[in-house]
Amino acid sequence: MWRFLGETMAVFAKDMRCEFRTRVAFNSLALFAVTTLAAVSYTIGPYGIAEADRPYLLGALLWIVVFFAAMAGLDRSFVKEEETHTAPLLRLAARPLVVWGGKLLFNTVTLALLMAILVPLYVVLMGLSVRTPGWFILVLAAGCLALAVTTTIVAAIVARAMSRGALFAVLSVPLLLPLLVFLIQGTRAAIEGRVPDVLAALRAVVSLGGVMTVASAFLFPVVWHD
Amino acid sequence: MRGIAGQARPGSILVLTGPNGSGKSTLLQILAGLIRPTRGEVRYLDGDGEVPREEWRHRIGMAAPALALYEELTAMENLEFCARVRGLEVDGDRLRNGLVAVGLDPDRPTVVGGFSTGMQQRLKLAQAVLHDPDVLLLDEPGANLDPDGQDWLAEFVRGMAEEGRTVVVATNDRDEMTWGTDRVALPG
Repeated sequence: MWRFLGETMAVFAKDMRCEFRTRVAFNSLALFAVTTLAAVSYTIGPYGIAEADRPYLLGALLWIVVFFAAMAGLDRSFVKEEETHTAPLLRLAARPLVVWGGKLLFNTVTLALLMAILVPLYVVLMGLSVRTPGWFILVLAAGCLALAVTTTIVAAIVARAMSRGALFAVLSVPLLLPLLVFLIQGTRAAIEGRVPDVLAALRAVVSLGGVMTVASAFLFPVVWHD
Repeated sequence: MRGIAGQARPGSILVLTGPNGSGKSTLLQILAGLIRPTRGEVRYLDGDGEVPREEWRHRIGMAAPALALYEELTAMENLEFCARVRGLEVDGDRLRNGLVAVGLDPDRPTVVGGFSTGMQQRLKLAQAVLHDPDVLLLDEPGANLDPDGQDWLAEFVRGMAEEGRTVVVATNDRDEMTWGTDRVALPG
């Protein structure tokens, strides 16, 4: 177990080190997120939505911004390995689940960093008032994990295909749509302070994320080697 | 490729030759387990019987144009990553010695993207033997080396075989063809 974790951390550390030296994924995500956030806050702002509609619309807009930013950069970890022809070395040296674990960790941390910058900005620029901040953060954390799990396996699938960018979004949407619906419901409930509804949405998000994690763990070795 | 059969023994150097497109590199990738053959099989045997496929990564080392290094990392960082991901004990001296053995400076701060192709080739050889494999697969190993480098490479490969490793070399270089005791010519 410790050996598996050590090897997984090696893949994660290598990806972080390479990313900090090139900043391709970070820049793609940040640029898309900031541009979308600026456009949304400029056109709608804190006063463009009626008070009663705010929780639902602001929750939905937040996840739309996060989703499109994720689509812009989270496929890089696998696509880059194929484009730079380093994937065969990784296939030769590492266990498939180690690669999957390292890439999943990298995508989770990248998305968490993005959300750590994006969400406070969003709250300020959109004048979002959250009644239960703790539950709000919990929904964001669960969403971050579930999004990372799903985008990691989809990125692995599309990395060896042509037209990767388009395929990444096309394959991700049906897998992420139910997740986004529950995340938006949970976010709305957290904004309004309805804890039982937050719990119901969290259960759904954790279930979907769990199913995707187990499916990915079984699917990835096949995707990686064939 | 059809009808290719044979075996290589420990301590031998098997040379694969053939015209461009004959499948030398593909055959090496099949031997490494990177490509699954549509028909046929590759088996590695040791004293205990057949080596399970999940064990191949510990037994096989490969250096090939198809196996690129991480250009954002230095030579030491590349080797350290290969060691960690293979589950080896990361010993700084061992990594440094590995680089010195292939003629590279372990203290060079340049990332691999700034290396010449010959230096990258030497680093690929260092990562291929880092885990002390039983089988060494080399695809055009001397392609980017200068004449002195090619002499060094010949000694390096012979030394690997003398230590009991099975070495398989895919090449069209006339000098490299003389390394082997066994030779397989793939049809074009």
